[in-house]
Amino acid sequence: MAVPILKQGDVLIASIQAALSDRDLVDLRDELANRVGRLRSRGVVIDLTALDVLDSFATRMIRGIAYTAKLRGADTVVVGIQPDVAFAMVQLGLALEGIATALDLEEGLALLQARKAERDVRK
Amino acid sequence: MPELATPTAAQTLAREMGLTEASVERRRKIVGLGPQDFERIASIKDVVLPEIEQFSEVFFSYLSSLDEGRALLSNRALAERARQLKREHLVALVQSDYGLGYVVQRLELALLYSKAGLDLRVFLAAFYHLLKSVGVAVMRHFPSPLEGFEAFMSLEKVAFFDIGVIVDVIVFERERVIRQQQDSIRELSTPVLQIRERLLLLPIIGVIDTHRARLITESLLRAIRANRAKVVVMDITGVATIDSKVANHVIQTVTAAKLMGATVIVTGLSAEVAQSLVVLGIDLAKLNTVGDLQGGLEEAELMLGYQVVRIDGRARALANEGSKVE
Repeated sequence: MAVPILKQGDVLIASIQAALSDRDLVDLRDELANRVGRLRSRGVVIDLTALDVLDSFATRMIRGIAYTAKLRGADTVVVGIQPDVAFAMVQLGLALEGIATALDLEEGLALLQARKAERDVRK
Repeated sequence: MPELATPTAAQTLAREMGLTEASVERRRKIVGLGPQDFERIASIKDVVLPEIEQFSEVFFSYLSSLDEGRALLSNRALAERARQLKREHLVALVQSDYGLGYVVQRLELALLYSKAGLDLRVFLAAFYHLLKSVGVAVMRHFPSPLEGFEAFMSLEKVAFFDIGVIVDVIVFERERVIRQQQDSIRELSTPVLQIRERLLLLPIIGVIDTHRARLITESLLRAIRANRAKVVVMDITGVATIDSKVANHVIQTVTAAKLMGATVIVTGLSAEVAQSLVVLGIDLAKLNTVGDLQGGLEEAELMLGYQVVRIDGRARALANEGSKVE
């Protein structure tokens, strides 16, 4: 199942609705990398609210998406990790080091907004 | 008044204690019950069955002769049920079928003893007297003492098999209280408190073991979701000692909270704890630590953009006046 990617201002929102196959994740990564450049986005939000498991491959892919997006100039925020998923990930030693996380979509967008404001101040 | 043990209660207990056909089989092996014993028991079946009333009477009259045994007998309903179960027990004792059904029957009687608060040593003494009277009858039946002794020893194996079950139940029931208390201590000791909007306080007091660490993490994650928390102050002043295991639990909790978008500030690391961590070589660099709870709260407020301002004397007087008018 392909993941819908929505554009909201200069932010791309990928909302994962169901358990994804490895193939779907690779597609998502390629598609996001592509669109970040094409649409000149400054931020990516990956919404995992609907997921109840996250395996090591998915974790690695999400990290891959975040680094790719960073290289193309967009910050990535992972949002909506459920309590049970977070606990399982910690138990399995899976972490999203160096990647911003937020409670839900709203928080994620606010975080990107804050980062943008910081950048503007520096300019 | 203790309620009567019911067959379903005995079955539930059998499940809780993990008794299955296989484990009962193992119990038979432990006391060494085999086909030869079944044969010998079958040969004395007709000796025991007609005298069941008397044997059961020996047991209960011995109980009534002791102060400790009277608690069970003073309750008429319990005593009636106990007598009936004891008669059933004596019948089953010589049927050479000691499977799960037989054990569940024993559990029912044991539950009744445990509910009546019957002391284990009193039970054992009364059971000894019961066996003695059975033994006398068996020995009388056989012309040669050796034959009688062998038959009786086979029955004795079953008796020890029964005692094993009954002791297990009484101990299990006693430990039930301990298990319940442990659970309630664990529940009580992991509160997650909201002290400002989006700011949670997690005070930890006592020993952190793996089970408790799991509960703490779970309740914290749920609270983060429910309160939409952004910052959590985790105060470990009340944790006396920290070893590598506990430190690992703390790190796991912090990482899990981070995955949900909340920052954790750890406070209350005493000088001793900090030094022992350094000696152990545990890297807490990933953690955001502040010396004491006050410092942690100030840091958290700063992160959330709160500013605490102390109002001056006049303003305070005005505020007080305002509250008096109301």
